[in-house]
Amino acid sequence: MAIFPVLHTSGSGLRTHRIWMDAIADNIANINTVRPFDDDAFQARFIVAQAVRSDNQDPPGVGGGSRAAAVLFGDAEGRIRYEPDHPYANEQGLVRYPDMDLGDQMTQLLMAQRAYQMNLAVVDRARDTYMQAIRINGR
Amino acid sequence: MAIPGIGQMVGAAGLNPIDTKSVAKPKNTGAEGDFGNIVVNALQGLEALQDKSDGLAIKAATGDLSDVHDYTIAATEATLATEFTVAVRNRAVEAFNEIMRMQI
Repeated sequence: MAIFPVLHTSGSGLRTHRIWMDAIADNIANINTVRPFDDDAFQARFIVAQAVRSDNQDPPGVGGGSRAAAVLFGDAEGRIRYEPDHPYANEQGLVRYPDMDLGDQMTQLLMAQRAYQMNLAVVDRARDTYMQAIRINGR
Repeated sequence: MAIPGIGQMVGAAGLNPIDTKSVAKPKNTGAEGDFGNIVVNALQGLEALQDKSDGLAIKAATGDLSDVHDYTIAATEATLATEFTVAVRNRAVEAFNEIMRMQI
């Protein structure tokens, strides 16, 4: 068992939210990715967060943080737009845009960033607390 | 007046020889409970943490580090473990010095 378990728990939270931010970055980077009508549109990435069970914690019910367990994909149909000049357009002049809302992605980005910061704050507090415990009656 | 020998005083006057059996002996706590072993184990754990931190620092330098916080957390952990080990050592030395200063 690790001697400073909080650091590992918060570290797992940091990792989960870093992956979430990666996924949002991917989504935003592909906000204008156009696909031909016959192909699948770019699918938004969703991260599935999962609680981690831990047998090392005392008491045992306390978990060991979170992890990004899987990536789910959004709607493959996308938003069909009429752009007859587009090289990818079919005979009807239709192409597929990803079915994502930029405002929604930015909101998720804010949430991921804040959660990341909160985990950092926990790391900071834990370090200060452990340090104070080490310095009990010390000089 | 005859002076009795010292040997006769012992026992007769209630000066009992020290009963070595009744003197409390420190319990044999086994090898792992030994303070020295505790410190050695702590130092080994500390070394492992510092190795991990060093490995991540190299990864950061070579650009292989995927998570920045992995390194900073490992470094924090190594710092805390160092402080902790030093604190334990200091307390132990303090206790030893206290005993050495004892007036006998």
